[in-house]
Amino acid sequence: MTAPLTVSRRIAAAPEVVYSYLTDPDKWVRWQGSHADLDPRPGGLFLMAMPDGARARGRFLELVPDERVVFTWGWIDHPGVPPGSSVVEISIHPEDDGSMVTITHRDLPDDEIEIHRAGWEHYLPRLAAVAEGVRVEPDRGPGGQSS
Amino acid sequence: MDVLQVIAEPRRRRILELVWDDELSAGAIAGEFDVTFGAVSQHLAVLKDSGFVDVRTDGNRRLYRANKQALGPLRQVLETMWSETLDDLGAAIESDLQ
Repeated sequence: MTAPLTVSRRIAAAPEVVYSYLTDPDKWVRWQGSHADLDPRPGGLFLMAMPDGARARGRFLELVPDERVVFTWGWIDHPGVPPGSSVVEISIHPEDDGSMVTITHRDLPDDEIEIHRAGWEHYLPRLAAVAEGVRVEPDRGPGGQSS
Repeated sequence: MDVLQVIAEPRRRRILELVWDDELSAGAIAGEFDVTFGAVSQHLAVLKDSGFVDVRTDGNRRLYRANKQALGPLRQVLETMWSETLDDLGAAIESDLQ
């Protein structure tokens, strides 16, 4: 019934640059969270800790270099969205000199869609900024962004 | 989780304060303070499960509002806490102005 949550944006960086920010934990935390433990291969661990203690955990499902990363997602200690209960797909399409990046988050309970949309709408511009070589403030969440 | 644990967490009290007199969407709540979407989602779930916030569906949106009655005697505790914080702030501003 519910349309999947989708957030898209053009990023002025090559697909391989964007992809590196989705698979290298040191690069992931430049745009989201304060700690990441990523094992980017099918079945590998996805664990990302937010600065306020919330932790997202799942498993990588599919990785196509420079094109697509798919992983399961949920929050530790959150019975409504437990680890592995939903699926995030980040796809990268080359466009002119850059990339069109789309984040799709499926299988969330209806109640959780809006807050997760707000989350990805906060983080996709941060991914764009770091991939484009712009420094961003350390992650403090949607309310922490002064822009 | 017992009721005191629910309101002992400062970020949950802040959410309650935000939806005390106004109905807000989860996205608006998330935008109000420095908490990531995972934490807002978790705290809202705890507040919903405890009955301290009510959720109303409006099209695709979910709107949250505090259920003051469900809080029972804690309602007074919270209101006193918030008004004292405001009084402290007011006093601090006044002394700054002098």
